[in-house]
Amino acid sequence: MEEVSKVQHGIARSGRRRAGAVRLPLSVVIGKIAALLGAVAVLLLFVWPIARLVHLSVAGEAGLTLSIYNELLNQPRFWSALWNTFIIVTGSTLLSVVLGMTVAWLMAYTDLKYKKLLHLIILLCFILPSYVLTLSWSAFMGSQGMLAELLKGLGIPGEPWSMYSYSGIIFVMGIHHFPLVYLFTVDVLRKIPRDLEWASRAGGAGRLKTFRRITFPLAMPGLAAGGLLVFLASLDNFGIPAFLGTPANITVLSTLIYEEIIGFGPAAFARGASLSVILGIVAVIGTMLQWLMLRKSKTSETTMPDYSPRYLLGSRRKWVGGGLWALLLFITAVPLLAMISLSFKRAYGLGLIPSNLTLDNYRYILFENAKVWQSIQNSVLLSVVTLIICMVVGSIFAYIRVRKPSALSKAAELAIALPYTLPGIVFALSMILVWMQPLPGVNGGIYGTIYILYIAYICRFLILQIRASMTAFMQIDPSMEEAARIAGAGMWRKWKTILLPMLLPGIVSGGLLVFLTALTELTVSALLYSSGSQTIGVTIFSFEQAGNTLYSTALSSLIVLLIAVGGTSVLLLQKWLSRKGLGGANK
Amino acid sequence: MSIAIKEVTKSFGSFQALKALNLTLASGEFTAILGPSGCGKTTLLRMLAGFEQPSGGEIQMNGKLVASSSFAIPPERRRIGMVFQAFALWPHMNVAEHVRFPIRSHRETPAHIRDNEQEHVERVLAMVGLSKLAARMPHELSGGQKQRVAIARAIAPSPSLLLMDEPLSSLDAMLRMDMRREIQSVHRQTGTAIVYVTHDQGEALAMADRIIVMKDGEIEQAGTPQDIYLRPNTEFVAKFVSKANLVQGRWEQNHFIPRAAASELKWYGGEVSTHFKQTGAYPVRPDQFVLGDALEEGIKGEVVNVQFQGKEFHYDIRADKEQWEVISPRAFRMNEHVTLALPV
Repeated sequence: MEEVSKVQHGIARSGRRRAGAVRLPLSVVIGKIAALLGAVAVLLLFVWPIARLVHLSVAGEAGLTLSIYNELLNQPRFWSALWNTFIIVTGSTLLSVVLGMTVAWLMAYTDLKYKKLLHLIILLCFILPSYVLTLSWSAFMGSQGMLAELLKGLGIPGEPWSMYSYSGIIFVMGIHHFPLVYLFTVDVLRKIPRDLEWASRAGGAGRLKTFRRITFPLAMPGLAAGGLLVFLASLDNFGIPAFLGTPANITVLSTLIYEEIIGFGPAAFARGASLSVILGIVAVIGTMLQWLMLRKSKTSETTMPDYSPRYLLGSRRKWVGGGLWALLLFITAVPLLAMISLSFKRAYGLGLIPSNLTLDNYRYILFENAKVWQSIQNSVLLSVVTLIICMVVGSIFAYIRVRKPSALSKAAELAIALPYTLPGIVFALSMILVWMQPLPGVNGGIYGTIYILYIAYICRFLILQIRASMTAFMQIDPSMEEAARIAGAGMWRKWKTILLPMLLPGIVSGGLLVFLTALTELTVSALLYSSGSQTIGVTIFSFEQAGNTLYSTALSSLIVLLIAVGGTSVLLLQKWLSRKGLGGANK
Repeated sequence: MSIAIKEVTKSFGSFQALKALNLTLASGEFTAILGPSGCGKTTLLRMLAGFEQPSGGEIQMNGKLVASSSFAIPPERRRIGMVFQAFALWPHMNVAEHVRFPIRSHRETPAHIRDNEQEHVERVLAMVGLSKLAARMPHELSGGQKQRVAIARAIAPSPSLLLMDEPLSSLDAMLRMDMRREIQSVHRQTGTAIVYVTHDQGEALAMADRIIVMKDGEIEQAGTPQDIYLRPNTEFVAKFVSKANLVQGRWEQNHFIPRAAASELKWYGGEVSTHFKQTGAYPVRPDQFVLGDALEEGIKGEVVNVQFQGKEFHYDIRADKEQWEVISPRAFRMNEHVTLALPV
């Protein structure tokens, strides 16, 4: 607003001085109107639902009341869910941190071979949707699963470890999230200048002491930020406790909210809302802590990562490398194979011999059950539309955010981040509350159709694209753009020939993330789907709940194939773009 | 292109980067804007380019208004070229494409260039010595070559004004000397007006037809390199450009009597600006002093630091409770007592 009045003041002033030579800065006016509309849209789409949620949790018949919270605190069910959440989140976070830090150290500092491939395999654990990982492990560890058969074959007595337990949930969650810790830490480790370690060694400290007193404290901000992110992700996770906890009667906050809403009954929404507010507050506090940690480690942002190895493993390289490969394959590829092989069986529990194999499960889900085919179409369409809208809107917003930073755009970014910061189940409930009756007494035709899923996906995943695009923009010095304008390029030519070729690889990798996350989404869809608008995740969940493990593993195997195809095609596209970008050399 | 800057001010929030600047630049002239960081020189350059809009006043080019507080022609519609500090080469374009880009983009590229594009690109590349590297990508070039590409791109559409923002500061010392010659030769061959921003007084003195010294958003002094170097008008210019020592004392018309003079010592100073005559100081450059034995006539001092530089010595001399820089071909030892004289 200040700028508007400044400009107007300027117009008035020059108008007095040189009548007739005034030009109304139309672009400024249009910009202001666009900013205003954007602000309204952000408030309505991102902030209003949360406000409705909080309001519902404290709304009573006569004004505001805390009675719902009171009632909640008196329920043993709530306290046991809280306790379960605490144990599971803490345990899995610890596992992720230890695993992530170890792998990050090996990848950053040692001379292991095939690091690029290892990096991809590490990420695989996180790329696979949590319910696919869960199904894989339960197929692998099941009482008649692959491991059980192996034990029987070897004549070893005993049963495999049951995944439907606290330890099972903690384990699957821990291995699903450890790549997050790895990603955060490996870069921080690489950016610690190696002469700091040399200085410590020259100062008389041994290797161990150097790690303890120099490397570890310097890596701490990255590690803590990664740990907090895992904490948040575990709090948010719905798939793992829903698949593994529900049969064993282990309820956590996210599944408790789901059960409240699904169970309906009087005041179900209000109870769900109050639970959501509690879960949301924990998540927001965690995010703020993580943000503080990251700010602390920002100082090292300008230093370049150092990719050359610092510790030569020598003759131990074979063992360490082999061990790491074995570990990574054991936690992803082997269970995945168990799941895929299960999907080809005639019946659960049969041995893996040719006569027991069949394509019936696939035939059923693809051709005999129209709902499954519908859900695949829904998910693909949902993720493509989400991808396109997020790419366009997210990149435009990222450009404004990076090149013309203002308090308004910063606030908008925070608001847009809200749906992703909050646990999915909380966000989904807030969407129901707003879109059930967008205006008092009006249904609006959004809730109960697939449109609410479009809105929810776009709102939740937009921030992922914005962050990726912002990173891409920040890597381009403003002078690149200025050089284009000096060279006479107008808006269109500047974007087409200079900015987009440089930005596309970054924007596309953000888009890939949005696409894959949307394609395999479960939490939000589980609350928002209705007949005809079920997604792949929801369908797998329904099969699993009904005990149709063969169908759920078949569909999961299909989704793994879809991820592989989608991921590879986007990577190829990215490669093609970057080659096209550099292709000028051949002209 | 002739440029007139009239009462131009620029403020960023409460910080005033430029305070009522008035300046005219003649067409074809090589103007250096010299000053320390934060003096407003880059703001002024970016305003000429069109990336910043004045908060007050106006800028005219060839008598036509290009910017005021309420009006600005965007950079792409001004006929200018610009060389950026960190080159700003586009990583996805090769050398020839960099040169071709502005020829095709600029609306007002002269027809003879547009019609003979390939020929012109080759001529420009030959001018900066890049003929053999036309197909190279930016990451395959050395720092000096990158800067040549940046210059070639800037002069390709034959702009009437060439802006340079500290173009040599990203290069190492040896290369800088070569590039000075390169830029001078580009100026001779194209005849384009150049505005060259720098904090290095050596670059400004060596290349410019005219130097504008700026400090705190204001012009301290404008003039030819000789004017600025030999006849500074202010303490700041004397220290920043000529590295002069300010000897304290009093003036009697055109003669100066240093405060620390033992006897009837008088220095002639007919060319010293009236500002120093009013404040009672004489700006003496390190090379103006003549260093002699303790017994000779002059101001007494003591050597507190020596640096051998090959053909001469750089001394720090403590005299008159201050420390002065003096250059002399004669060898003295640390702590030796010397006298400082100023021959006319």
